Amino acid sequence: MGAETKTGIKSRCRVTMPKKNNLGAYNIEDLRQMAKKRLPRAVFEYVDLGAEDYIALGNNRDAYRSLKTKNRVLIDVSKRSTATEIFGRKLAMPYAISPTASAGLMAEGGEVGLARAAARMGVPCTAATSALTPMEEIYEKAMEIEGCNLWFQLYMWVNQELRKNFLERIKATGFETLLVTVDGSVGANREHNDRNGFSMPVQYSARLIAQVLANPGWCARVLLPQFIKRGEFQKVHYPPEIGSKLTDRESEHMLAKPSNQTWDDIKRVRDMWPGNLLVKGLYNVKDVVLAKENGLQGAVLSNHGGRYVDNAPSPIQALPEIRAAVGPDFKLIVDSGPRRGSDIVKAIALGADMVMSGRPTLYGTAAAGEAGAFRALEIFQTEMDRVMAQLGLNSVDEIGPHIFWNPPAWVPKPDSGLNRAAE
Amino acid sequence: MAKNNYGAYNIEDLRQLAKKRVPKGVFDYVNGGAEDGIAVQNNRDAYTQLKIKNRVLIDVSKRSTETTIFGKKIAMPYGISPTGTAGLMWFGGEAGLAIAAEKMGVPCTVALNAQTSMEEIREAAPNADLWFQVYTWPDKDLSLKQIERIKSVGFETIIVTVDGPVGSNREYNHKNGFSMPLKYSPRLFAQLLARPGWLVRVLGQHYLKRGAPTMVNYPEELMSKITDPMLKHMFTKVDNVTWEHIHRIRDVFPGNLLIKGLQSKEDAVLAKENGLQGVIMSNHGGRYVDCAPAPLQVVGETREAVGDDFTVIIDSGARRGSDLVKAIACGANMVMSGRPTLFGAAVAGTHGSYRALEIFKVEMDRVMAQLGLNSVDEIGPEIFWNPPEWVRKPKTQLKAAAE
Amino acid sequence: MAKKNNLGAYNIEDLRLMAKKKLPRGIFGFIDGGAEDHIGVQNNRDAYTQLKIKNRVLIDVSKRSTKTTVFGKEIAMPYGISPTGSAGIAWYGGEIGLAQAAKKMNVPCTVALNALTSMEDIWEQGGGNLWFQLYMWADKEMSKKFMDKVKAVGFETLIVTVDGPVHSNREYNKKNGFSMPLKYSPTMIAQLLAKPGWLIRVLGQHYLRQGTPKKENYPPELARKITDKETADKHVKSDTQNWDDIQFIRDMWPGNMMIKGLQSAEDAVLAKERGLDGVVMSNHGGRYVDCAPAPLQVLAETRAAVGDDFTVIIDSGARRGSDLVKAIACGADMVMSGRPTLFGTAAAGMPGAYRALEIFHTEMDRVMAQLGLNSIDEIGPEIFWNPPEWVPKPKPALKAAAE
Repeated sequence: MGAETKTGIKSRCRVTMPKKNNLGAYNIEDLRQMAKKRLPRAVFEYVDLGAEDYIALGNNRDAYRSLKTKNRVLIDVSKRSTATEIFGRKLAMPYAISPTASAGLMAEGGEVGLARAAARMGVPCTAATSALTPMEEIYEKAMEIEGCNLWFQLYMWVNQELRKNFLERIKATGFETLLVTVDGSVGANREHNDRNGFSMPVQYSARLIAQVLANPGWCARVLLPQFIKRGEFQKVHYPPEIGSKLTDRESEHMLAKPSNQTWDDIKRVRDMWPGNLLVKGLYNVKDVVLAKENGLQGAVLSNHGGRYVDNAPSPIQALPEIRAAVGPDFKLIVDSGPRRGSDIVKAIALGADMVMSGRPTLYGTAAAGEAGAFRALEIFQTEMDRVMAQLGLNSVDEIGPHIFWNPPAWVPKPDSGLNRAAE
Repeated sequence: MAKNNYGAYNIEDLRQLAKKRVPKGVFDYVNGGAEDGIAVQNNRDAYTQLKIKNRVLIDVSKRSTETTIFGKKIAMPYGISPTGTAGLMWFGGEAGLAIAAEKMGVPCTVALNAQTSMEEIREAAPNADLWFQVYTWPDKDLSLKQIERIKSVGFETIIVTVDGPVGSNREYNHKNGFSMPLKYSPRLFAQLLARPGWLVRVLGQHYLKRGAPTMVNYPEELMSKITDPMLKHMFTKVDNVTWEHIHRIRDVFPGNLLIKGLQSKEDAVLAKENGLQGVIMSNHGGRYVDCAPAPLQVVGETREAVGDDFTVIIDSGARRGSDLVKAIACGANMVMSGRPTLFGAAVAGTHGSYRALEIFKVEMDRVMAQLGLNSVDEIGPEIFWNPPEWVRKPKTQLKAAAE
Repeated sequence: MAKKNNLGAYNIEDLRLMAKKKLPRGIFGFIDGGAEDHIGVQNNRDAYTQLKIKNRVLIDVSKRSTKTTVFGKEIAMPYGISPTGSAGIAWYGGEIGLAQAAKKMNVPCTVALNALTSMEDIWEQGGGNLWFQLYMWADKEMSKKFMDKVKAVGFETLIVTVDGPVHSNREYNKKNGFSMPLKYSPTMIAQLLAKPGWLIRVLGQHYLRQGTPKKENYPPELARKITDKETADKHVKSDTQNWDDIQFIRDMWPGNMMIKGLQSAEDAVLAKERGLDGVVMSNHGGRYVDCAPAPLQVLAETRAAVGDDFTVIIDSGARRGSDLVKAIACGADMVMSGRPTLFGTAAAGMPGAYRALEIFHTEMDRVMAQLGLNSIDEIGPEIFWNPPEWVPKPKPALKAAAE
């Protein structure tokens, strides 16, 4: 089963820099620093940090940085393009926005801003089950922009009836691609949240209140409008039976992210969902093979941004072995870690179809709403375009492991047949 | 001596104490390495990266750190390297080193560049295992005459330092306005005045009792004050010394002959073929070639090349008793170093130098106990966990599990 | 060694710090910085510093020499000055100073297309072994006329820079408000005013004597003032450039021709097949692709691919004389760099540039002595201890022990 091809919607492949305003951000790290200033500390750290000792967080970056690429000279690259295609839709670059629960804490209506920024760039954006804005509103506002390409991310609720209704609602709204997150079945060990007195759902401890009050800008920009427009922060997709206010107890966790979910649950979703179906949050080759055998279209290899298992490898380290096991047709997306356009090139060279991430566009949203999210995407696209030019590559198909110099053993050899090197 | 540890619980403590007591230019001269200090750091890293595994439930009550070198028993596989600056650490520092070594029962090397004469040192420590270190001057005949004097005083072991064909590149010396020979520049004066204790105790005492510090072990023709400009014929950094000169020394000296300053195993093999008794693998404390490997890193391949019946000593970098254990495990017969006992001398003269030796011995003894080793013979590369490939492999017959 | 005046600089880093004090912040950042996260810049240094070399002792090195031959001309050491566009804003007449310093040391110096002094003036007032560096223009007729001019001046060696199909991503420039062409923004003006010495000596002198700094080598049709916007279609950063463009130049240029900016051995082979005389493997000082390997790292595979009868030069990262020895050992014919002599120029004009060359020369000579090497021919990979696998293996026939 697969998605029907959408026709007639153009995506821009090459984006010119808005000469006037780069918002003072020259790279993703700049956006991160800006976000740090504009968010209460607890909120920023909730987004920014990982689990335990943050080893996985560092390793996610190191895995990319350790890969060296060699340029090629005197190749006409004037007609190069970062465009690619997935599920029958053209993308401006092989990048998409990951689902995150906290866009609404970055800026008022943050999820809508993300979706619109992605539409303007011409890349997919994934709406989250835990969003603070209803999916219909996100979809409607984003569809105003030509090139909108929205995906939806699901947690599988225990109650079958609720789950079925929810899937119907997602389908009815118009989503065609569904990502089922499967890596959150036990809580994460994020010590900074405990120290900050922060949790999702939000619990207003004295410490948290103090931090929020210390950031009056955020109160005015985010907290107040939210209360006026929608009342308390709510996970708006959660039916009342599960609990929806951000301040409700974590027993909601047991009903929403059960530790007893299995491949049977995935089968049931597969039976109910006619569109593209992927699982997110796995990096063991055995699991990805099971996903393929169960008729899914693809998998998002992820360690959830270093937020669950602190001793996990980076998804790109697991990627080559997995690609070799599933073959070229199964879609493999990687998240957790990209911060530079060169990272996208490297991920493709290792065998990914596409890269996703959550934090870069969140930082952008915190910094400047929809414009900031767009700036993050723009940074990725311009950098990727530049690196492709420097490496003598004219299209995403030409990217392959031959670009690497002296790579570590986990990198596939060129001509292994499973990459798309045009050499 | 057991009563007073001088506030120093390890070699680094001695170093910090020395830094406070010695003028900056003099301290940096002793403490520093060449160029970017990469070799100095690598010398330490080579040791600290080696992990060792303990063994439990082994009777170690009769353990000993003793070993034998050149037929003489020594308290532990450690000796004092030759340095030209003990006399600037403490008045009569060189004699102090010899006395401390005598008391501990380990070898001590008298340096050609000492400010105390070899005769006086020999007299101050009559029972010490004293070795003598020479450089080669441009006048090779004069260099040989020197050997006669050394023989007549009674030294049985001579070390020829061969790793200085040219002067080294120690930039902090220039920046400090420090050089050997000493030049009393305004900057140096300021540094000396900042250390009145040292000025009185060391330099003042020297000038009172002996006049200007002098290279008293040099022959008449070359003898000079350490403030005299170094004339060409006094240079010890000579770039045309070859094996031929070593042969000439070998011919006139019947005792133990070693060369010091090697990094290549090929040179160790040549030394053996030329009839020497041993070599000291060394990068001169990281003071010459800044991109040199640590001697600890090359001792494995050297031992493999020369076999077991040739003495291989390493210096450059040991600061802990565990370093001695690691060096032996990697194939050395003995470890030498210069700075630890110099730091000790700066702190408290003879007693301070002895404290440094004591630290090494106590630590080595403790580590051997923790590893279930009763003697130096039992130390081998099986003590290491996941060592890098430059560490030699264990001989399988040796040291089976809880035997 | 300049016995009188080393300008207070004992190594290249000293010159760098002096340059930092003297230059306006944006200009120093432009020279010093790399691309994106500066991973490439750091890796360029690490590639050198991680290589350990072993000394050889007791080898007569009194007749050693650092001389070598490139393109039929003897030079004092295997080092040359890379083309840079900024010598003229580091010091008034900086490019001439570079040429003069290079002539005094007797090493090649490359005149940059983007120089602020005309090639004729540099040739006349600088003299020496001068090379010329070119970017390719889209307009072939303009290129031809230009090359005729370069030939007529007397240049015999041409370097075409090919690693810039697109602008680089140097974020600190944007944050400093610095760009080429220069834009006198409030940020920039504030920085210039903060360095009155430079303002008077360099920019002021330029305006007085010559008016606005101009790229004097550009044909009059193209923008020349460093404050002019460059017209897009005539821009030198052309993403259509390809091997046919190179062939066009090769067919017109009778002298030595190289391309600069390569990282892949395949590209070096292509250059050789097109009849070029050599390549400069380079990551442009870490200023373009931040995840590029160091040229030192790709040298062995490049040499293996092109053989011994093709000139392979590397740049990007050399800061010590030992780096030159390591580069030769890995297979380079020569090393080039831009920043060291630029730092020297910014610090003290021509004497500063010469000091940089002198530092490289003395350090290389010292390291060769310490390694027992008498000539460049003797330098090979056997000098390394435990090198990483990207270092070539020693040829067994070459360099036996003390032969």
